[in-house]
Parts: sequence; C-alpha cells; structure tokens
Amino acid sequence: MNMLNPILARLKKMPRAALITIGLFVALGTFAPWLAPQDPSAQNLLEAGLGPMAAHWLGTDHLGRDTFSRLIIAANTSLVSVGSVLGIAMTIGIVLGTIAGYHRGWVDDLLMRIVDVGLSVPSLIISLAVIGIVGPGYWTMVLALALAWWPMSGRISRAVAVSIMSKPHIEALRVLGASPWRIYFGHLLPGTIGSVMVYATADAGTAALAVATLSFLGLGIQPPTPEWGQMLVDALPYLESDPRQVLLPGLALTAAVIGFNTLGESIALNRIPKPLTRRMLAARRLEVASWDKENSDA
Amino acid sequence: MTQAPVLKVENLQTRFKSVQRGKFVHAVDDVSIELYPGEIVGLVGESGCGKSTLGRTIVGLEKASSGRVLLDGVDLSALSGAALRDSRRALQYVFQDPYSSLNDRQTVGEAIDEALVIAGTRTLEERDRRTKELLDQVGLASAVRDRHTRELSGGQRQRVAIARSLAVNPRVLICDEPVSALDLSIRAQVMNLFLRLQKDLGVACLFIAHDLALVRQAASRVYVMYLGRIVEHGPSQELYDRPSHPYSQMLLASAPEVDPRIEKHRRGPLMIGEVPSPTNPPSGCRFRTRCPLAVDDCAKAMPPSHGLSPGHSAACIFAADLHRGKRSALLHQEASAA
Repeated sequence: MNMLNPILARLKKMPRAALITIGLFVALGTFAPWLAPQDPSAQNLLEAGLGPMAAHWLGTDHLGRDTFSRLIIAANTSLVSVGSVLGIAMTIGIVLGTIAGYHRGWVDDLLMRIVDVGLSVPSLIISLAVIGIVGPGYWTMVLALALAWWPMSGRISRAVAVSIMSKPHIEALRVLGASPWRIYFGHLLPGTIGSVMVYATADAGTAALAVATLSFLGLGIQPPTPEWGQMLVDALPYLESDPRQVLLPGLALTAAVIGFNTLGESIALNRIPKPLTRRMLAARRLEVASWDKENSDA
Repeated sequence: MTQAPVLKVENLQTRFKSVQRGKFVHAVDDVSIELYPGEIVGLVGESGCGKSTLGRTIVGLEKASSGRVLLDGVDLSALSGAALRDSRRALQYVFQDPYSSLNDRQTVGEAIDEALVIAGTRTLEERDRRTKELLDQVGLASAVRDRHTRELSGGQRQRVAIARSLAVNPRVLICDEPVSALDLSIRAQVMNLFLRLQKDLGVACLFIAHDLALVRQAASRVYVMYLGRIVEHGPSQELYDRPSHPYSQMLLASAPEVDPRIEKHRRGPLMIGEVPSPTNPPSGCRFRTRCPLAVDDCAKAMPPSHGLSPGHSAACIFAADLHRGKRSALLHQEASAA
C-alpha cells in the first residue's frame, strides 16, 4: 500500500471527473472483447431501430445491432488507433526533436524548417492527401494521422531537448568526458521522453477526434468495425426520427475528448515548467480549433 | 616554481557573436595564465568581466576563437574526439549552482558511478569501492548513496559534485564560485573540506570568485581580471597588500570590512560608472574610462605588463609608481571628489 501512496497523492490533484471518464474509457477499451454483452456485428433487421430495453440496454441501430456492445468495441478501436497514432508520431517527433536539440546549428535549422512546413499545412489536409494516395483503410489512417501529427511533437521535443542540453548537469557530463552517445541516450532521451509523454495525454483527445472525423468521412476505419465517428454517420439519416442513435456515439466521443483535454492539461500544468506549458498548450488549442474549423468546412 | 606548469593558457581569446550584426563580444581577450601543481590560484573581478567564460573555455565548454590550452605540455586544441575527451578529463570544473549541476533523476551513487564509468573503471567492485571512498572523502555518509540528488541540501549537493569531479582523478580543478550559492554557515564547511581535499590530493586549482576575502584565505597567487583581460597578477599576500593596478586598488578597497570600526572609516564611494560594453571596448587600456589616473597615453595603446617583483606584474603605465606607493588611485579619486 505504501508504494501506492505517491501515486494516489498525485491522482488526487487531478480533476476527478476527467480521471473517471478516461479511466472508464481505457478500461472499457482494453477489455472490450470480454465486456461487450453481444456480438457488435450481429445484425437482426427485425429488431432494427429499437429503443432501450432489457435485451439491448441502449437499444439497437438501423441494422438491429446492439448499440451498447458497439459503443464498447468502438472504445477499443479508438484507444488502439489513438495509441498507435500518438506512438508513431511521438517516436518520429522525439527522435528528430532530440537530434535537433542536441546538435543545434544547421541540423537544428534544417529539421525545424521541415517541422515548420509540416505545421504550416493543416493536419487534416495532410491526412486526406495521404489517404487519397494510398486509399482508405485502418493502417493508412493511422499512418496518415501520424504523419500529420509528428511535427507538433517534434517541436515540443526540440524545445524540451534544448532546455535539457543547456542545463549544467549536461555540461558537467561533457567536462567529465562523457561520449555523445552517453549524453544522448543516458540523459537527453529519457529526460525528453518523460516530458513529452505528458503532452501525449493532452494530445490524445484531439487524436480521438481526428480518428472519428476521418471515419465519419468514410476515410478511416471501415465498416463493419465499430467506431464512434462511423456510428455517427450511420445514424445520420435517422437524426430526426430517432436522435438516440446519433446522440449516444456523439456523447461518448465528446466525453473522451473533453476528458483527455482536461486531464492532459492538468498533468502538463503540474509537471512541466510553466512558461513552456503555456506556449505549448496555446499552440495545441489552436490545433484543436483548426480541426473544428476544417471539419465544418468539410 | 621551478616545476613545469600543469596548466598553461596562452593568449586565449573567446568571443561570442553579438546581437549587433557583424560585431563580437570579446568575453576573454588575450589571456595567459599558468597553474603549477598543487597550488590554488585565485581569479577575481567584477561580474561580467569574463572570469567564468575563461574557466569554461579552458575546460572546453566554450570554444576558444584563438590561443592554446596546454595541459602537462599537451596542446588540447590539437586533439579532437575521444582523444580530446580523455586528455581533457584531467581538467575538471566545479559549478557554481549545485542545484542544476546534478541530474535530479539520478541517485548520488549513480552520479558518481557514472563518472567512474566514463573514466574507464570497468569492474563493479572497483567502482563500488571508489564510490564509498569518494563519499567518505567529501564527508558524506554512505547511506546518502541511494538518495536522489534532489533530496539533498545545497551543501550536500556541492559535496556530491566535488566527489564526482574527483572521481576521474583530475590534475586541475576549476572552481567557478563553488560556495557562493550556499548558505553562509555551510559555506565555511564546504570551503574547509575543499581546501583539505585540495591539499591531500595535490590538485592544482583555479578558484574563480568575487569574494575577495575567500580568495585571500585560499589562494597563493591571484589574477585580477577586468573586461576580458588580466590586469594584474601576483602572489596573493603582496597583491592584497600592494595592489599595483588602479583597478585592483579600487576593487580591493570596495570590499566591505567585517570590523564596523574600520568599515566606518573606509574610503568610498569608490568604483564609479559602469563596465564598458565588451562589444565595443575602449581603445588602449580598457580601464581608462573609469580610472582616476587616466592620461592621454592610456587611450593610445594597451599598456604592457610591467614586472614589479618576482611573479608580480600589472598592466598599467603607472604600475611602478603605484607599486612603490608614489601614486594611489584611491587618494587621487578622493582628491578629485573634494
């Protein structure tokens, strides 16, 4: 129990509602195949469009599939795809960002100009271009989003790496005659990963939204795999006759996005030096806002 | 001083690009110093005069734009890569701020162990033994080993930092105000520890400080730096008793006295004006803009260093007069103020 105390103390500082929402999301997503009461793809047209009842707790969709099971499996889809997108994007971003932060000079200039190019093109446009070339599909979507996402994490990693590199403890290592490998892998990389992971939490909400957006447009996760964005588009024709079908996946998505944003920002504000966090969060909010704008245009 | 110097710095120059386009900040300009084995040499001067930059350039944290650093007669500027790292390891640096010079993620044991690994101590038993020995030398209990450095006090951290630099068996230690970030009560402890270690291990030490009393107590010789140049150097007893450069005279006189009776009669105000910009230093003698003795000749050329007595020299055209007490920057200052 003693080992848990510091973790519990840290958890207490976070916004409780967001923590519960994300905890629920992660738990449901992880154990979805065992938790879903029914086969999410089993169709039964005789039971299509039914409201909540004992057999189907949250009702059924237009093909008679169990909405509750589909929502749970969709949490899994969302969790896995968001995790992969952020995993790939963070890896690319951290590698390039730390190399730029370590070397400075022309390497830094070159890599950061590439990042600038990446940041200047709206991420949805990059994703759409990649999907347009390769064709829609699950892994295409993950790669497309990762490609659109890494410049942001590259920028953050570089900022963190530069601040670590200028610390006297790195200078002390250089005076001791440590090899560049030791400084990079032993001190710079672990330090950067620790800080950048915090931003990953804050980014997860936006990434979830992006996955749902692409699926909504039919460019991401393909049927019959349940996904919130795709459930929304399936239910759209019944918006007036049966708003429940639209509301449920919409609410699930909204809760996940808001939960990740709130949780991520509170972690970031607690863990990272203030001025850096403010700038990064402001930049990230702009990013989120641009997604909304692009979506309404699309 | 018949021994060969362990560290010889020849005409070292460090400049940084200025914010003004095409201009340079001459932080260290044509500085030559020597350190003999086992001695403590003080380096004093106002903040911003280039003391720290000089120290950082010697250990390679800043790039010298010209000049040489010779360690045991080996020219470090001729080496590169692993050979440079191996040679330069004998030059160690103790940072001013013990809070940022240690990695917070490491425990004390890990920090020292890493230094030992870098220095090439391969076996685990050997490193374990040396870590214990080093902690003992700097007066820390071996229980501290498993504590994270962030859990320690400033004094303890500075002890760990000293232990870490000693782990690689340095011949020269450059201490950049190693105690000025510490509490007064801790300061004396760490300073005494440092002096004892320096004596026991026979490490030569360049002691950078603006605490003049501390330097007088610790150092056998002193270099006085002003605006990137050494203006005077000599044995500390003689330099403190008979400072022979107007800047040294004024710097020493501006240090407050502990005894209030003396302090009351102290001459002042002494140092006037600001340090000129190192981007655009005055022509000739750099101190002339603030010097009460300045004459027209001072602006023409940098005054050469005048030897005054063995090991004591000052770069001022009046150095001989000042040394003999025929002139005094302080009296002159008072006379012109009156």
